[in-house]
Amino acid sequence: MSQIKSVLTEPLFSKNPIAVQILGICSALAVTTSLQVTLVMCLALTSVTAFSNVGIALIRNHIPNNIRIIVQMTIIASLVIVVDQLLKAFAYEISKQLSVFVGLIITNCIVMGRAEAFAMKNGPVLSFFDGIGNGLGYSVVLITVAVVRELFGAGKLMGVEILPLVTEGGWYQSNGLLLLPPSAFFIIGGFIWVLRTWKKDQVEKAEFKILPNTEHSGGH
Amino acid sequence: MSANNDSIQKTLTVAVLLCLVCAIIVAGAAVSLKPMQIANKAEDKKKNVLAAAGMLEPGVSVEDQFKKITTRIVNLEEGRFATDAELQEIRAAGLDPDNYDQRKASSMPELSKALSGDEDPASIKRLEKYAAVYMIQSEGEIEKIILPIHGYGLWSTLYGFVALKGDMDTIVGLGFYSHAETPGLGGEVDNPKWKSIWEGKEVFDDSGDVAIKVVKGPAEQGNPYQVDGLSGATLTSRGVSELVRFWVGDRAFGGLLTKLKEQGA
Amino acid sequence: MGLRSILDNLEPHFVKGGKFEKMYPLYEAIDTGLYSPPSVTNNTAHVRDGIDLKRIMITVWMCTFPAMFFGMYNIGLQANDAIAAGAGTALEGWREMLIAMLGGSAHDPSSLWDNMVFGAAYFLPVYATTFIVGGFWEVLFATVRKHEVNEGFFVTSVLFALTLPPTIPLWQVALGITFGVVIGKEIFGGTGKNFLNPALTGRAFLFFAYPANMSGNAVWTAADGYTGATALGLAAEGGVEKVVDSGITWMDAFLGFVPGSMGEVSTLAIMIGGAVLLVMNIAAWRIVAGVMIGMVGMTLLLNAIGSDTNPLFDMPWYWHLVVGGFAFGMFFMATDPVSASMTHKGKWFFGALIGVMVIMIRVINPAYPEGMMLAILFANLFSPLIDHFVVQANVKRRVARVS
Repeated sequence: MSQIKSVLTEPLFSKNPIAVQILGICSALAVTTSLQVTLVMCLALTSVTAFSNVGIALIRNHIPNNIRIIVQMTIIASLVIVVDQLLKAFAYEISKQLSVFVGLIITNCIVMGRAEAFAMKNGPVLSFFDGIGNGLGYSVVLITVAVVRELFGAGKLMGVEILPLVTEGGWYQSNGLLLLPPSAFFIIGGFIWVLRTWKKDQVEKAEFKILPNTEHSGGH
Repeated sequence: MSANNDSIQKTLTVAVLLCLVCAIIVAGAAVSLKPMQIANKAEDKKKNVLAAAGMLEPGVSVEDQFKKITTRIVNLEEGRFATDAELQEIRAAGLDPDNYDQRKASSMPELSKALSGDEDPASIKRLEKYAAVYMIQSEGEIEKIILPIHGYGLWSTLYGFVALKGDMDTIVGLGFYSHAETPGLGGEVDNPKWKSIWEGKEVFDDSGDVAIKVVKGPAEQGNPYQVDGLSGATLTSRGVSELVRFWVGDRAFGGLLTKLKEQGA
Repeated sequence: MGLRSILDNLEPHFVKGGKFEKMYPLYEAIDTGLYSPPSVTNNTAHVRDGIDLKRIMITVWMCTFPAMFFGMYNIGLQANDAIAAGAGTALEGWREMLIAMLGGSAHDPSSLWDNMVFGAAYFLPVYATTFIVGGFWEVLFATVRKHEVNEGFFVTSVLFALTLPPTIPLWQVALGITFGVVIGKEIFGGTGKNFLNPALTGRAFLFFAYPANMSGNAVWTAADGYTGATALGLAAEGGVEKVVDSGITWMDAFLGFVPGSMGEVSTLAIMIGGAVLLVMNIAAWRIVAGVMIGMVGMTLLLNAIGSDTNPLFDMPWYWHLVVGGFAFGMFFMATDPVSASMTHKGKWFFGALIGVMVIMIRVINPAYPEGMMLAILFANLFSPLIDHFVVQANVKRRVARVS
């Protein structure tokens, strides 16, 4: 039980796949201009990670080592296609905005990483929760980015107007930079900054130290 | 992992079984969800038509709202509605005239022709032979007509619709459903305030020439042919101006509009 | 030495263990700003002359004065011209009240005083905002990170303010310099460890975040309802012909009687300051020369290629030199010693890269009429790589000599 709890909660902050392992950044840049789309993306990724983990964990003792990666990819790819089809059928508007990025979950390093690093060594139940946990870790970062981008970039949240825009007669002047993909880098960077200030153990050791070359002599 | 997992026999068995299971799941999902996806796609297009014409009412089903609208295929070269033989031609090319995919048609050599240089102010490269127009009729008169338009802005091709009144001259709405212009500058083509400027503008001047234009900076007060340019987005404004002028002009819907004006539907 | 002894008496309170230990960076900044720092180099020493970093930064700051004062005059001239011609009206608000209080409410474009007062009322608040907000971040980081406040900020702040259009809202100024100082510099460890020019990073932030306030035709003249394109904006539409047709001669653009960013309009004033920097060996002449060579070379190439649809292809290099932010960027931004290449050979490449890129962006990119800011930031990113190759080439040459 405690094991399940730790695989669920650890990826949120202390072992966050995006902020600590810097995995799966590409979709974080592309789909975070609106919160609604981001939530659907998070849901899609979390379920793919969880169920691919289960699938791989179930047959982990039968997977031939030399086609290991191919087997994992096949399972992940099938799940992604199913998710994509479901979105097209039940959430057409959002699937249009997500466009290729649902398909690109296949190449998302988090999914592959968990399959290879966790599901190949653990049972299906634990693997399932590990998938959920890592999906949530990914979601925490994406949702943070999306909230900042949609709120300050478009003055809205979930499409509902929060800050009335100047161009539409309000007072808030939207920040255009936040609607451009690079802004997600800044926000993720800021997230990591805050996280590392909070959890000091995540700070890497400095690779080198610059010697001070001046000395305060005290007198004038 | 037991050692015999790596034998050729086991490898093949696992691979075949896995592929089989995955194939069944994927195929099952694709086939069973197909009808819903097609319905979604059709509804989405109708929604775009309604939204671009400024007639989309939230809360009412798109299907119902679209019932008022008749879709006709137009022969752009001749400036008239397509004949049955021509509809047959579209079917022969593999497209469905009832659910006409104009974007696809513009890339098919048998249904489109290349434009070059001066012929192509909107930079669309190829012009399709047939286009779909959407009309709202009451008592035999055309109340509104909605024309599909597209053309190049700064970074991307803008796709949208323009809706005209029954006089085939006054604009009742304009909107783009797909583009990738700079947010905050060219992206302001989506701004409802800017779109509302178009309402009531006139396309043709008294002598019947295309007069509508997006100008640089603010438009002249009271000029029915001028629309304010988007500030800081000279090239997007120019693109929108050119593409609207192109599509209502003689090479595209101009002929049809003149004919409808003269003889009614 | 009254002041010296006051500072010395205060010092014990600020050093480690003192009452205001946390405020040491502030004390240090004032002390070493006024007097030579007491610290001495304790490893491999490299004495060249008596000047130190602080004195260098102050010199650079003073070298912006010609451009700054001319800029202020020109803000007033452009706006008062528009107002006198009836093409625009004075913007209502506290600035106009300030101008009226100082006797500039006649808006007479021929009066030096009216123009100066008007310009000062627009430039100085922007500069003050930059200085206060940027200074706040600078001191905050210095206090938390326990490093000293660096006088580089004097230069960053004035350069940032000078590259902005006169109509920029002050809250955007505050946001821009915050981004420049925090993201452009402090995140990487403060002055000396940043790889981008902080002033330009701040400007780039504003450029992408609030394009409507940073580009277009309405922002360059501080008169309500008046739109006046910059010379570069006109050239993008119709080449040099259109610029000349609109009444701007080459000499106007060179002297700076054109609408534009506050301190970037006068190539002459910038050259005066720039010449001092070059003579004093503060700005690297290799970078300046590199930028010129890159710019002229690329322009001549594009002139030779020619284009039917893009009139900018035919714009001669001496026009590129006097329009937009080229001269300002070349003398003051590209030569930033921290973010430029360090090696002598590298400086040539670094400069040339800027020169080539600025012309590419101006002429070929349809979206951005001005390319100096982006070109310099782009070259900033490449400067460590350029240095690396220069060093490697040198190592290779010397290894070959040994064997």
